[in-house]
Amino acid sequence: MNTTNNSLTAAVQLALGVQTGSATTSDRPAPALEARSISKSYTIGGQSRRVLDGIDFRVDHGECVFLAGPSGSGKSTLLSIMGFLLSKDSGELFLDGQRVDDLGEAKRTTIRREQIGFVFQRFQLIHGLSATDNVAIPLTLGSMGLAEARNQAAKLLERVGLGEHRDALPSAMSPGQCQRVALARAVIAKPNLILADEPTAALDGDSGKAVMELLRELTSGSSTATVVVTHDPRIFPYADRVCEMENGRFK
Amino acid sequence: MRWNIAYRTLFYDRGKLIAGLVGVIFSVVLVNIQGGLFFGLIRKASTLITRSNADIWVGHRGMHNVDFAHPIPERYRYVAAGVDGVAEVQPLRIYFTDISLPKGGYENVALVGLSRSTTPGGLTYDVDQPSMDWAGRNDAILVDQCDAGKLGSPSIGELREINGRRVRIVGQSNGILSFLITPYVFTGYDEAADICQGDPNDTSYLLVRLQDGADAARVCQEIESLLPDASAMTAEQYSAVSVNFWMTRTGLGISFGAATILGLLVGLVMVGQTLYAMVLDRINEYATLRAIGLTERELLAILLCQSSLVAMLGISIGLVLTVLLKQSFSTPTAAIEIPLFLYIGGAALIFGICLFASGLPYLRVRRIDPHTVLQG
Repeated sequence: MNTTNNSLTAAVQLALGVQTGSATTSDRPAPALEARSISKSYTIGGQSRRVLDGIDFRVDHGECVFLAGPSGSGKSTLLSIMGFLLSKDSGELFLDGQRVDDLGEAKRTTIRREQIGFVFQRFQLIHGLSATDNVAIPLTLGSMGLAEARNQAAKLLERVGLGEHRDALPSAMSPGQCQRVALARAVIAKPNLILADEPTAALDGDSGKAVMELLRELTSGSSTATVVVTHDPRIFPYADRVCEMENGRFK
Repeated sequence: MRWNIAYRTLFYDRGKLIAGLVGVIFSVVLVNIQGGLFFGLIRKASTLITRSNADIWVGHRGMHNVDFAHPIPERYRYVAAGVDGVAEVQPLRIYFTDISLPKGGYENVALVGLSRSTTPGGLTYDVDQPSMDWAGRNDAILVDQCDAGKLGSPSIGELREINGRRVRIVGQSNGILSFLITPYVFTGYDEAADICQGDPNDTSYLLVRLQDGADAARVCQEIESLLPDASAMTAEQYSAVSVNFWMTRTGLGISFGAATILGLLVGLVMVGQTLYAMVLDRINEYATLRAIGLTERELLAILLCQSSLVAMLGISIGLVLTVLLKQSFSTPTAAIEIPLFLYIGGAALIFGICLFASGLPYLRVRRIDPHTVLQG
């Protein structure tokens, strides 16, 4: 799934069963993800408040883009829309050149399962599962057996420096270790896109940098695109591009 | 992996697991003990029949309860004895009367007169005595040791009065208890009519024993055709008729049934509430699973797995506990009789209810918005 753009396109078509559209108008390769004129409003206290105001955004394969900005600027909302966790009010969304907005819930779930890896601010590990089993979840959502998934998960945990914590429960690990487990879970199925929402917010400075280094290391040399929402300017050097948002628009 | 997630998350939170198990165990024990008490109680409605050695009971036409017999001519016994397939016929009388108590009071009793004639086939009624010699004495009676409380702790050799006639307690039966509050007191067949001044030409029942291989249904039909004023039923049939009498005329079945259903509902609520609380505690985890690609159906499968585990564990523990309680507390007076179908049926029902109970947390899981997870 992470070899060439052509194979990615085919994989998306296969997964979605969507019609092939002309998402790009030039010879430039289709971006991993592209959002056009995305708008979103929330109704708060009976009043409609626009959170995203005609946002255009793209992230290419292998690129790591940071979304920065003050609270309430719409970063997380945009991330949720790009992650098919939230519906937009208007606009278009393309995944590998395929228009994928307005899909039904089943297809959105399929995209999340097969194309996207998530990293959450508070790790969101399953407390009853060991580190290995947490990392193995995305593999077992496909057709892989639990034993093989655990084997691959153990190898990845070794790679992220948690070889000795394979059987540890999340409650027995430090926040930094938990976030490394969460990173491993996000990348193990080799997704086309990784969406990370403030992955360093719950970590101290050193742990935050270590997590970002690990994220770059795990995605380097692959065509996986990464979008990171963050407030933390200390990790900006890990971005290929930083997009600052304010009041639902890019600055 | 769904199975792995289901059972690991279930066992991770042992407090909630125990709460769920308590709900299931409570339901299993309640259903079985309640049902067992019911069957134990209702069985008393036919104890007089089931403790006999008779194959067929012949009584007045339309007989509906073993305790409330209408007299039939005793001479019918000779007609019944002449039916092909009948090995022997012995009469049995039942009268309602009272017995004196040591402190001067009286207790209503059902006086049962048993035939003392013996045959090669043995007695048609056996009251746990080594012989029927006791019935040869004009004043001899037997009382049931389980009715000792009602009868003022009778002792062997003690003199009492029944219907103004002096009688002597010569032995005790065991566990032949009436569904009514009136204890059974046994005496000889002729002595019963004598004590209660009944018509010596009448009897309450004819107890028929069949020859080996005889067709009971055919014999019943033939007896009824020869004796139009009589009904003939196999012991099993008359036992069921007697039980049904109390079930339908007292509302006993509805009362016990309602109590049992109430117990099931309490168990259902406990299991459902526990699973719901577990889901609420782990709502972020379910949202995470939803976010990373588990479908609603897969989340339902996890919930069903957890419900099944709670059900199987709870049912197993509950059944063991039920057997222990039954062995510890079942007495002839308050018998707990749990038939195999009740064990199996109750377990299946509670298992189904547990699966149904997972619907409540599933409704909550369906409403999970994975976006909220990203919001931290």
